[in-house]
Amino acid sequence: MRHIRTVGLCVFGCVIAAAAFLPRIPSAVADDISERAHKLHFSSIVLDTHDDTTQRFFTNTYDIAKRNPDGHVDIPRMREGGMNAIFFSIWIDGRVMGPQAVEKALDQIDAVRENVRKNSKDMVLARTAEDVRRAHKEGKIAALMGVEGGHMIGNDIRMVRIFADLGVRYMTLSHFYNDEWADSSTDKPTHNGLTDFGKDVVREMNRQGMLVDISHVSDKTFYDALEVSKAPLIASHSSCRALCNHVRDMSDDMIKALAAKGGVIQINYEKSFIDQAYKDAYDKETGGVVQHLSQLAKNCNNDEACISREMAKMQEKLTAEGKLPHVSWERIIDHIDHAVKLVGADHVGLGSDFDGADMPEGMEDASKLPKITEALLRKGYSDTDVRKILGENTLRIMEQAERVSRELQTQQ
Amino acid sequence: MPSEMLRTIPALLSLGITLALVPGMTADDLTERARKLHFSSLVVDTHDDTTQRLMDGGFDLGPRNADGSIDIPRMKEGGLGAIFFSIWMPSKVKGPEAVQRATAQIEAVRDQVRKHSNELVLATTAAQVREAHRQSKIAVLMGVEGGHMINSDLGVLRKYSDLGVRYMTLTHSGNCEWADSSTDKPAHNGLSDFGKDVIREMNRLGMMVDISHVSDKTFRDVLEVSKAPVFASHSSCRAICDHPRNITDAMMRALAAKGGIIQINFHEGFLSQEFRNAEKADPSINNAIAAEVQKRCGDKEGCQLIEGDKITREYVLQGKLPRVEWTKIIEHIDHAVKVAGIDHVGLGSDFDGANMPFGMEDATKLPKITEALLQKGYSDGDVKKILGENSLRLMSDVERVSKGSKPAR
Repeated sequence: MRHIRTVGLCVFGCVIAAAAFLPRIPSAVADDISERAHKLHFSSIVLDTHDDTTQRFFTNTYDIAKRNPDGHVDIPRMREGGMNAIFFSIWIDGRVMGPQAVEKALDQIDAVRENVRKNSKDMVLARTAEDVRRAHKEGKIAALMGVEGGHMIGNDIRMVRIFADLGVRYMTLSHFYNDEWADSSTDKPTHNGLTDFGKDVVREMNRQGMLVDISHVSDKTFYDALEVSKAPLIASHSSCRALCNHVRDMSDDMIKALAAKGGVIQINYEKSFIDQAYKDAYDKETGGVVQHLSQLAKNCNNDEACISREMAKMQEKLTAEGKLPHVSWERIIDHIDHAVKLVGADHVGLGSDFDGADMPEGMEDASKLPKITEALLRKGYSDTDVRKILGENTLRIMEQAERVSRELQTQQ
Repeated sequence: MPSEMLRTIPALLSLGITLALVPGMTADDLTERARKLHFSSLVVDTHDDTTQRLMDGGFDLGPRNADGSIDIPRMKEGGLGAIFFSIWMPSKVKGPEAVQRATAQIEAVRDQVRKHSNELVLATTAAQVREAHRQSKIAVLMGVEGGHMINSDLGVLRKYSDLGVRYMTLTHSGNCEWADSSTDKPAHNGLSDFGKDVIREMNRLGMMVDISHVSDKTFRDVLEVSKAPVFASHSSCRAICDHPRNITDAMMRALAAKGGIIQINFHEGFLSQEFRNAEKADPSINNAIAAEVQKRCGDKEGCQLIEGDKITREYVLQGKLPRVEWTKIIEHIDHAVKVAGIDHVGLGSDFDGANMPFGMEDATKLPKITEALLQKGYSDGDVKKILGENSLRLMSDVERVSKGSKPAR
C-alpha cells in the first residue's frame, strides 16, 4: 500500500522527495513522524474553504476571540490547529429568496468583517492569494468569505459585483434547493442545470475573480458550469461519491472532469458524506439531510445557529442510542487519498464544513487538524503534496481565478 | 482682494444689475476672471439624482444627453469636479426591498465609474477628491437619501459605507423607522434612540450626516448627538422661501456653530416663495403634473424626475406657474453666507431630481454662479469655499472624527 502510494507520487514529479523519504520508513518510529508532521503542519498555510462559523456571530453566546466549549472554530482553536486561512460561509436557507436573502447575506458579510475588525491583532480580511500569504507571514489568520447559495444574489447579477467588492471570493451556485437559475443536487431539476442567466452569473464571477463553487449543485449544473467557466472550479466542501454514495459528493467522473480543468475538490468532513454506513442509518432515522434540516428549520424558526446546534444534538443523541454508527476521522484521510489517487495531489484540498456539519470522532474541532498532516505523512505523502492539500492548491486556484479576472477585464 | 470691502458695495444694489462697479474693471474682465476661477476650482455638488436614470436602463453618463442635467460632457463643460450621486427611492419602499434596490443603485454608480474610468473615479475621502481633480478626473461620490434604505440594520449601513457611500440623509419625504421627516406627521419626536445609534455609527464610519428632509426636531436631536459636523446636502433658506424642506436662519446658525454646511438646492419650489405660493394655491396643478408624469413614465423613477422637470417648465411657459430665474440661487447663497458665514455654504443642486430654474438647466450653467458671486463682490477665496472647499473641509472633519480626533477648527 505504502509502496504503491510512493510510486504514485513519483509520477507527480516528487522523485527526489520520495527517494529521500523512502530510506526512513523502516526505522521511522511514531515520534519521528509526529515531530516531522508538527513542523510541516505549523509551517504550512492551512486553508479551510468552508466553515459555517458565521452563523454563530449572530448568537450572543459565541465569541470568536475566546475558546468556546462548543462548536468547532474560534481563534484559540484555529491557532492550536494551525488553521491560518478560513473561508467564512455566508449562508441562509435556500428557501429564503429575493431581497430578504440579499439583506441577510449583507448582514453576514458585515458580521464577518466586523469580527475581523474587532480581532485585527489575530485576523485580517484577505481577498487574494497574495493577501493570504501576507497574512501568514505576519502571523495572522486570513479571513475570506464564500457565499453558499446563488439565491443570495436576489436574481440580480449586480449583487455578484457587490459581494465581490465586499470581499466575497467564491459563490456556491446553489444550496440544498434550486435557486432561480441553477439546479441543486438535493432538489428536483427545474432548469436542466444552469439557465442562460446562470451562465451569465458564472461569467460575471469569472470577471470578478470569484471562484465558482460547484458543491451542492446537481451533476448537470456541474457540467454546465465546467463548460462555461473560464477559470477552474472548486467543490468547496464535497467528498467522494465512490466511498459514500451521497448526491452531495462527487463521482469519480466529476472529480476527473473538475481536475482536468485545473479544479480542486475540498474534502468535507460531514459524517454522512464520508461514511456509507452512517449515511444509510442517518437517512433511515431522519429521512436524509434536506428533510432533517427542513424539520429543524421549522423547529428553530429559521434561526441558522439554532439549526446547526440542534442538528449536532440530535446526531449525538442518535449515536448514543446506537441508531447511528461511530465514524472515525480517518475516513477523511480515505477520501483525500481516494481523490489524490484519482486525479493527483494538485486537485485536492480541505473544506471541513466546521460549525455546519456533524464531525467524525477525532476531528471534533479545528485544533485536530494537525492529525491530517500526520496521517498523510504516515501514508507516505511527501511534504510538498501535504502542503498542497493543506492549502497551496486552493491558493493556486485563487491565483488562476485572479489571472482570468484580469484578462477578462482588460479585454473589455 | 479684501472681500469684506468688495462685498459691501454690490450688497447695496439690487440683484441682477450688472456691474461696472469696480473702477477699471469691465464686465468682460469679470467674465474672464470668473471663468479662470471656476475652472481652477474644485466644484463639488453634494446632491444629484442622476442614479435613477441609470436604473431605468438605456441611460449612460458617457454621451451628451438631450435631456436631464448631468452627464460627463456637461459636467466637464460646467467645470463640475466632484458629484454626489444620490441613492434614492420613495420612503414607502421599505424593508429588504429597499436594501436590495439601494445596493443595486450603488452598483450602478460603481459600474459607471468602471465603464468611464478615463474620466471618472470613485472617491471616498476629501484627499481622493483632490487627487481626482489633479488627474483631471471627475470624483464620483455617493449619498443614500433616506434612512429607510438601511431597514433599521446597522450592518447594512456599514456595508453601504464599505461600498463607498459617504453620506446618508436621515429621512426622505416620509418618516423612516427611526427619524421624523419635515414633510410627514411626527411619529418619533425627532430621532428615536435607535436613530441616535445610527448617528453614532455614521460618525464612527466617517459617513456625513445629512439633515436635508428631516423635521426641525430631528435636526436638533442630530446636532446634539453627532460628534462630527453635519450638513444639509440639498436645502435652501426658509427665510426666503417658506418651505419645510428649507432651513430657518436659527437652524443655519446652529448648523454653522457646529461646523456644518448648508448646500443650496436649486429647486424652483424651494427657491421662490412666489412659485411655492402658486403650487399651494392650486394643488390641482401639481396633481395634473403628477398624472402626466405617470402617463409618460409609469413607475420608472428616473424618467419621472426628468419628465416632472420638463412638464413643470411647460406649465411655466403656459403661464400656469411663475417663472423662476437662476439668480434666485445666488440670493439664497448670499442670504446663507450672511446668516451662517462664508465657511458654511455650498452647492447641492438636486439636478435630475428637481425643477430647475430658468438659466440653470444643467451642469453646463454652473460657471454662472461663480461669475454672479464675483459680481456681488465675493473674493476668489470665498467663491472657492462655496464651490467646493467647504464641502471638502466638512468631509475632512468627518474623517477626523471617525479616526477618533476632533475636527480641525
